[in-house]
Amino acid sequence: MGRKKKKQMKPWCWYCNRDFDDEKILIQHQKAKHFKCHICHKKLYTGPGLAIHCMQVHKETIDGVPNAIPGRIDIELEIYGMEGIPEKDMEERRRMLEQKNQETQKKKQNQDDSDEYDDDDEPGPSFQQPAARQPQAGYVPPMTQPGMLPVGSGTPALPPGSYSGIPPMMPGVPPMIPATPPVMPGMPPGMIPMGGMMPPMMPGVPPGIPPPMGTRPAITHMPQLPPAAGVLPRPAVPAGPSVQPDVTKPLFPSAGQSQQTMSGSPHTPPSTTSDLAKPTFPAYTQSSTGLASPNAGSSTVSKPPSTVTSKPATLTTSSATSKLIHPDEDISLEEFRAQLSQYQCSIPRQGQTTSAAASVGGMMAPQQHSMRHPIPGQYGGPQQGMPGYIPGRIPPYIQAPPIVPPVYQGGPPRPTIVTRPPVMSPGGHY
Amino acid sequence: MSLFGTSSGFGTGGTGVFGSTTTDSHNPMKDVEVTSPPDDSISCLAFSPPTMPGNFLIGGSWANDVRCWEVQDNGQTVPKAQQMHTGPVLDACWSDDGSRVFTASCDKTAKMWDLNSNQAIQIAQHDGPIKAIHWIKAPNYSCIMTGSWDKTLKFWDTRSPNPMMSLQMPERCYCADVVYPMAVVATAERGLIVYQLENQPSEFRRIESPLKHQHRCVAIFKDKQNKPTGFALGSIEGRVAIHYINPPNPAKDNFTFKCHRSNGTNTTTPQDIYAVNAIAFHPVHGTLATVGSDGRFSFWDKDARTKLKTSEQLDQPITACCFNHNGNIFAYASSYDWSKGHEYYNPQKKNYIFLRNAAEELKPRNKKW
Repeated sequence: MGRKKKKQMKPWCWYCNRDFDDEKILIQHQKAKHFKCHICHKKLYTGPGLAIHCMQVHKETIDGVPNAIPGRIDIELEIYGMEGIPEKDMEERRRMLEQKNQETQKKKQNQDDSDEYDDDDEPGPSFQQPAARQPQAGYVPPMTQPGMLPVGSGTPALPPGSYSGIPPMMPGVPPMIPATPPVMPGMPPGMIPMGGMMPPMMPGVPPGIPPPMGTRPAITHMPQLPPAAGVLPRPAVPAGPSVQPDVTKPLFPSAGQSQQTMSGSPHTPPSTTSDLAKPTFPAYTQSSTGLASPNAGSSTVSKPPSTVTSKPATLTTSSATSKLIHPDEDISLEEFRAQLSQYQCSIPRQGQTTSAAASVGGMMAPQQHSMRHPIPGQYGGPQQGMPGYIPGRIPPYIQAPPIVPPVYQGGPPRPTIVTRPPVMSPGGHY
Repeated sequence: MSLFGTSSGFGTGGTGVFGSTTTDSHNPMKDVEVTSPPDDSISCLAFSPPTMPGNFLIGGSWANDVRCWEVQDNGQTVPKAQQMHTGPVLDACWSDDGSRVFTASCDKTAKMWDLNSNQAIQIAQHDGPIKAIHWIKAPNYSCIMTGSWDKTLKFWDTRSPNPMMSLQMPERCYCADVVYPMAVVATAERGLIVYQLENQPSEFRRIESPLKHQHRCVAIFKDKQNKPTGFALGSIEGRVAIHYINPPNPAKDNFTFKCHRSNGTNTTTPQDIYAVNAIAFHPVHGTLATVGSDGRFSFWDKDARTKLKTSEQLDQPITACCFNHNGNIFAYASSYDWSKGHEYYNPQKKNYIFLRNAAEELKPRNKKW
């Protein structure tokens, strides 16, 4: 892979701003996503071609290119692969790419290869990519990463083989671990067995190694192969487990330190995690920031850049083309549900567990003495520990309407509590 | 409206027949229904390990209980035992020898349930609900790993009230998976951390999320040599990312695919996008199953990058799934996951666990690549 200097940048789709490895794939993408007839699924070659087909075969007009971002839906522009792209859009693209190159250290590694997976089944609009990608020209799918990433930063494209299969992860134990880093780069996947076959393979590797190795500071500990042979017995695996996409040297000491202690005594977890945390954390936050910002009009998370400690922000759950079936709050469904007073610990469940428990009681007899909390009896003494609960309401039923409002944050556009009472027959076990 | 025991409430379209064979949408796939399902949403399912003869299924629920059934070869399910927490049970797992079950709850504790004696004792304590619990069996140690909304990942020797180790996470734990020597934890704010468990657990790498939405479920997969090599990560946005830890070519090897979405053929109607609630890998074939809020399950072949099957739509979301140890049985739970908020919760609605024969449908396709 790598830069092929096609029109001085990687092939990209004018309709949705996505990047591709090469033009062939780009064309496949265009045919599948933009030039596909929504009626008969026939793939045409160009926008005008699609328009003509729809008119002649189905007697239907289409007013825009499917799955295109707003502004790029012109059905009359004859674009095929990279050909036909208006010059000003090319310029704009180049500018954005340069901008992105400078701004982001770590390239995002997100590739939505939905074309392959769900071509027939999920022909839905790839709503997300256009909006997300447009402002982020640098947000290239992983395919293009290796070529674009600065080589010197221990790139994801050069996984040092530290994790191929898990065994080599931590040093000290299997002697073959040290061999993996030199072996990994440039080796076809099938040739990375972990079963002690490393030594024989090593001599074959050096040709592939020098360029990438030279750039990775971590590898300075294992310069080239000949000394690497000497590396074998030495638990010099720090390069392995420690090489992360954006962390090279800093990780070494902690990993090295932990190595020595690994073999026996427990090391202090905080130091490890904090060492690991320091180099990675900023990048992590930064990249999330990069992702979070340009989300306009698509079903993505819109939250302030301070990702980690932000309060539960809200999601953008719907756009013109899609709707996330999820509450608006950016917390997990379980967190959302657990907030409800009915699920607060030791608050009586609504009659179900007892009756159900009773029905399966036969089998539970032996257990009763052990784990049976007063919970079954909960329906008796209800009101303790029910904050906000209005006494005088039907005791066992926690879901009486008054409880709900405090929990419900800003009730999104659904019918609200009024519908509850009919559903919730109070007073009945069932 | 029904007031008794575990009969099915309205909404099933039938007369509330228990174990109904009518083709109402609660069981469109006509799978085997587990008897005596929990009374509230099922949060987790787990089958017994191969070290135990037979198949035992445990399921935790929002009714604060965790139940155990024996699944017999003829498909019959026999409720065996139950334990309670003081808060909804969020996760459960088996020990490697199948003698104990570990349960994690919103009550901030985790319990160890000895099945032989049917006794359960508390073995872990967090400052917040425990969302994920896994048993780790290493050559030189065994322990329980708990991930909590208090942003810590703790490891417990079940004999001691204090954790063996506590690792700080950047955010609340949303889901985790363990296949020795690898553990993956996905947190709030799209955090993703891989841990290595050899010698002792330590953080291995923080990975930038391949997904743009809230993480919801994660499952580790293994390579042909049966070693963990990557994981599948699902989000609330109907998408799963397949991510290898050290692929030869990350750009080509890692990918995401869309799933659990409605219609969408016609670009005029907005597409409904559902959360992926759980992912499970077939222990033999290496193919995977995803279940979603849309009430469907799908089987996928990640190597051929194709979908193998999608089920009919159930009338409730599918909240949990798992395979038994030899991959013959696929269990999935149909219950409300709160994806549409409070209004759509119907406590009368019965929750189900279905069992399906998984031996044939999850066979991999021939690779396209």
